[in-house]
Amino acid sequence: MTWLAALLLLVPCCAWAAPVQVVSVNLCADQLLVHLAPERVAALSPLARDPTISEVADIAAAMPWVRADAEAILALHPDLVLGGRYGAQPTIALLRQRGVPVDLLDMPSDFAGIRTQVREVAELLNARAAGEAWLAQMDERLAARRPWPVRAVMWEPRGWTSGPGSLGDSVMRQAGLRPMTEGHMLGLEALLADPPDVLIVARAPDYPSLATDLLRHPATQAIRRVSLPPAWLICATPESARAVARLRR
Amino acid sequence: MKLLWVLLLALALGSLLVGGAGLGLPRADILWQIRLPRTALAILIGGGLAVSGASLQGALRNPLADPGLLGIGGCAALGAVLAYYWGWSAAFAPALPVASLLAALAAAVALLLVAGRGGVLSLILAGVALSALSAAFIALALALAPNPYALAEITFWLLGSIADRSLAHLALAAPPILIGVAVLLTLGRGLDALSLGEDAAASLGQPVQRTVRLAALGCALAVGGGAAVAGGIGFVGLLVPHLLRPWFGERPSGLLAPSFPLGAALLLGADMLVRGLPLLLPLNGELPVGVVTAMLGAPALVVLARRVGR
Repeated sequence: MTWLAALLLLVPCCAWAAPVQVVSVNLCADQLLVHLAPERVAALSPLARDPTISEVADIAAAMPWVRADAEAILALHPDLVLGGRYGAQPTIALLRQRGVPVDLLDMPSDFAGIRTQVREVAELLNARAAGEAWLAQMDERLAARRPWPVRAVMWEPRGWTSGPGSLGDSVMRQAGLRPMTEGHMLGLEALLADPPDVLIVARAPDYPSLATDLLRHPATQAIRRVSLPPAWLICATPESARAVARLRR
Repeated sequence: MKLLWVLLLALALGSLLVGGAGLGLPRADILWQIRLPRTALAILIGGGLAVSGASLQGALRNPLADPGLLGIGGCAALGAVLAYYWGWSAAFAPALPVASLLAALAAAVALLLVAGRGGVLSLILAGVALSALSAAFIALALALAPNPYALAEITFWLLGSIADRSLAHLALAAPPILIGVAVLLTLGRGLDALSLGEDAAASLGQPVQRTVRLAALGCALAVGGGAAVAGGIGFVGLLVPHLLRPWFGERPSGLLAPSFPLGAALLLGADMLVRGLPLLLPLNGELPVGVVTAMLGAPALVVLARRVGR
């Protein structure tokens, strides 16, 4: 009888046991994992260590990493693999064949989507408290300062712009700005012909390219500009709210 | 000759009226900071390429000689790619033209060594090999560059483009191109003598080696300066001297000076077309101007090759 009671006590414990060895093969999953359950990281993607695109680069630098390579990942014996919806599909298929639990993350494009995703992943990692604390920090940032109701263009390398349904557009609207573009390519002359009140660009990486040099063309110097770290906008996480706070007044 | 300069002036004025902001006279900042440097670069680069082509055709006694076909433009672009993507030019801006004209000079010297030994065919083959090699190394350098956008920019460097350049680029490219063109324009008589053959030229008292070396140096400066900010634009140097021969004769000395305005007008016209096309067609941005010069130049090359073969 005693052993049966002990077994019954164990059931809820084990059914609810959180995965302890989690591997991420996606930059955005890396950031969720590091924020929600850093102690359970078995490996991150190598991109997580790049400070120009990863907002957790300093923490990730001290953590193990693995490429999206099925053999290397299996050798880590993960009990959960986090990936992106669209990346590393052959690897993911192989891992699933070998019976490894895999969760694929979508890319939210607004703060409601971010909230839902953080709660889902926090649930999966059994880290609800960490998730709620992170979301509370996000809400604080989203409410910081006052909206800035001017016309804005978020200009990306090669002249692409943020349009409806993109995280950049959501960030601008959340900051109270009025986006002028619909996601089309905006050339240098077209930008200057109808200049926005504020030009939002990602801070350029250390090494030059024509795509990013365009954003610093001398003819654009007359337009008021706000530079944002690209890591805040590449992945939609509660940290994206920092971009909103930076754009408010 | 006067007509060519009038044509160029008309195109230059027209060029200030075409751009992404629409047709017509733009606001002052667009005019001065975008369309003016772009127009000036097209003139200098096109003129430099054409004068280089005319000099090379004279010095090598080969009607197919062209800085693009012979790989000088490609090597210059490779030098620029190395200086630009690896951050040297960010630390010290003139590193960009210096790297590209050193690479162009190395290519020109290599070609002269080949030309000294073999005939017409071996020179062209060496040029083709140099072009292919430089394109391959450009691809490799871009793939290794620590910037994720670099590899997508291979069309800019291989085909050549003067989109979105600024006054700073003009300041970097203009001195080497102008010096190179000035050097080449002094070589008319030497090149005329060379067209009789090296021995005949030497017997006329012409300093053959000096002429050939100065031609290589002038081409490296004119082509390298352009490739530093616009990549390897092809076919201008091939096409222009041939367009001029019916009017100005076969002698290199007669072709050098008119090559500048016609080359400038050709590249400027091609660039205006490239700027105007997105206003007509649903393009994702601009085509590199090298696409247009290749579309004009490649058929001309076929015609020429047939004529040479006969």
